[in-house]
Amino acid sequence: MLVRKLFQMLVLGGAVIGTASGCSTRADAQTKAGARDGGAAADAGSASSGGGVKGW
Amino acid sequence: MNEGLRRLVGEAWAFRTRVEQDAALRFTRLAASISSFDPGSPVIALMGRAAEDERRHAGLCAELAAAYGEPAAEGGPLPDIVPAELGPRAGVLYEVVAACCITETESVATLTTLLAGPSETRVREILHEIARDEVVHGRMGWAHLAREGGQTDVSFLGRWIPTMLDGTVDEGLFSAPGAEHDSEELLRHGVLPQAQKRSIFISTLEGVVFPGLEQFGVDPSAGRAWLAARRDVATAPA
Repeated sequence: MLVRKLFQMLVLGGAVIGTASGCSTRADAQTKAGARDGGAAADAGSASSGGGVKGW
Repeated sequence: MNEGLRRLVGEAWAFRTRVEQDAALRFTRLAASISSFDPGSPVIALMGRAAEDERRHAGLCAELAAAYGEPAAEGGPLPDIVPAELGPRAGVLYEVVAACCITETESVATLTTLLAGPSETRVREILHEIARDEVVHGRMGWAHLAREGGQTDVSFLGRWIPTMLDGTVDEGLFSAPGAEHDSEELLRHGVLPQAQKRSIFISTLEGVVFPGLEQFGVDPSAGRAWLAARRDVATAPA
């Protein structure tokens, strides 16, 4: 019951917020390409192999 | 409350203080990053407000840490969690999914569970205040993923979910806890006994995080395999 409520509140609620205000413009095409290939764009110098975020 | 439990509770609130301090720094940075490629995103304003919330939360957590005899230390620099091979926009998405879709979502589940039981008056007041904000913080991650998923291929995230999960959990979450870590008395002071914490973590992954990722085009199979491997260890006979 808790997880169903959380799914609706967070995931579906987030989808409504994220898609309600219009999309970013075509001018972003180059950075979108970077997102698609997961690494082609120049990076800010990260040396990380990836990690996560600790929480409660 | 005995001294061991008191120390455990104090350490938990001191740790949460650092978690909230880190989140404030992270959300400030992410808001600026998102505005550079998607200035019309509603997530930018949400992240800005979330950073202020997190600074306030850090103060509340520090208050409880001190009350339980474990003053919280100032946080250090924010660790870089984004894999070097990702481009800037993909890196922002990675960090938002790790921080919000996974960690904030898990935090909401933890807070909701804590608020469902009895707790000390001041602990309850603080849990209430933080829970109200954390719902928005979790939601803004899903909002960003939904928005990015509508414009670009976000499937690259699937293989990174285990890495995010590795960095989210404590080493001991899937191992047998000491008796004090599983004391029901912890609940009154705003801390989940370890077995309950593990159960909430797993059910939130299975019922919220993985289906949410799938909904927006991220294959959660690797994340599910990560969880299955750890759950097998946790339930194996000693």
